[in-house]
Amino acid sequence: MISRNFNHKMAAHCESGTITALLNHGGLQISEPLVFGISSGIFFGYFHKMKAFAFPTFIVRNKPGQMRTNLEKRIGVRFKTYDFKDPFKGQQLLDQLLLKDIPTAAQVDFFYMDYVPSWERVHINVHFLVVTGKADNKYTISDAYFPKMVELDASSLEKGRFAGGNMSPKGFIFHLDKLPAEIDYNKAITKGINKACFYMLSLPIPFIGIKGMRMFARKVVEWPKFARDTEHLSHEIMKINILLEDQGTGGAGFRFIYATFLQQAAELINKPQLKELSGELMKIGDGWREISLFSARIGKNRDLGPEKLKQLSEMISDRADVEERFFKTLSKAIK
Amino acid sequence: MTIPTEDLKLEIKKLIMTTLAIEDVNPDDVDDEKPLFGGDNALTLDSVDAIEIIMAIQRNYGIRIADQNLAREVVRSVNSIAQFITDQRANPTS
Repeated sequence: MISRNFNHKMAAHCESGTITALLNHGGLQISEPLVFGISSGIFFGYFHKMKAFAFPTFIVRNKPGQMRTNLEKRIGVRFKTYDFKDPFKGQQLLDQLLLKDIPTAAQVDFFYMDYVPSWERVHINVHFLVVTGKADNKYTISDAYFPKMVELDASSLEKGRFAGGNMSPKGFIFHLDKLPAEIDYNKAITKGINKACFYMLSLPIPFIGIKGMRMFARKVVEWPKFARDTEHLSHEIMKINILLEDQGTGGAGFRFIYATFLQQAAELINKPQLKELSGELMKIGDGWREISLFSARIGKNRDLGPEKLKQLSEMISDRADVEERFFKTLSKAIK
Repeated sequence: MTIPTEDLKLEIKKLIMTTLAIEDVNPDDVDDEKPLFGGDNALTLDSVDAIEIIMAIQRNYGIRIADQNLAREVVRSVNSIAQFITDQRANPTS
């Protein structure tokens, strides 16, 4: 039971890449940046003190699962979702879907995906991939971070699907249920951009959007007091680079993929200003990449004195200023 | 597909060494095909160096490597960087 016609493609991000792959397989030709943009994937949130996180951290995309649900609302596609308490039932249903030749997306802990070299595997409970078939107790997997289709033992997939901890997958799977007869891209793109602008500019929560960036800029200088020692602080500062660049963000904390979305949207709905804004966001992304590099460099060199953290703070604050201007202009452009 | 020139490969080696302030390696000792990361090349680099190289390519050649999946492939070796720059010059996408 191997889906022979599933077209594997690499993607910038696992969730948007997985959704795009299922839609493309179902016959809807839509790009990953369009999926990301229409579903308002771009975001910013800073968490200084939260029970869920042992150390201050930030996010640069919306909540896992929201890309799928937002896309459903905006283009009228339907996905069928399932979660499980019992791993046996979870595997049984997945196998039944594969027998019907239905490629099925699964949420897993990335650590158990042993087709990835061990040194690259970390515990992340919100990794998404597509299971396309099963033979000899091995699943065929299309993982958007991997250059080709791979095989995974049934036991490893089960461990990944039923891993414990924060945001545990609970065997969650989904597959394409229904494609819309037609899509009003004008409406979908407008809604997607409006919502993203709302999150970035107007949500009245002090740690979300531009406000969150400013809080990050203010609070990063306090990070040493949360760290056990210099090693720990250096690890956490270097994680800024990982969160912005290495965790399937498409580069610069999703700013590049959103810029590509704006470029494609400009043509699709004939709004040339979105293309200009795409170029502007690419440049803003370069600034995030500078932050990424700066953090990686000072972390690697253990050069973490107050002056360096102040410099980092100023760089983040500068991104908040340019992104505030950018999203205000974007908000006006889409009206 | 256009084959990258030897001059470009030498330029890339010098760019990497200038960017990373490496002074104790002779460009001629750097193998064009061997991996730059985790291998036994004369230049052995890490992930932070990779970002430095990606940004140096953007500054020097005006080519932005946005996607990190692509970036990993591009900065694998001197040959892969040279091929990417040659291809982008022939058919710019970024």
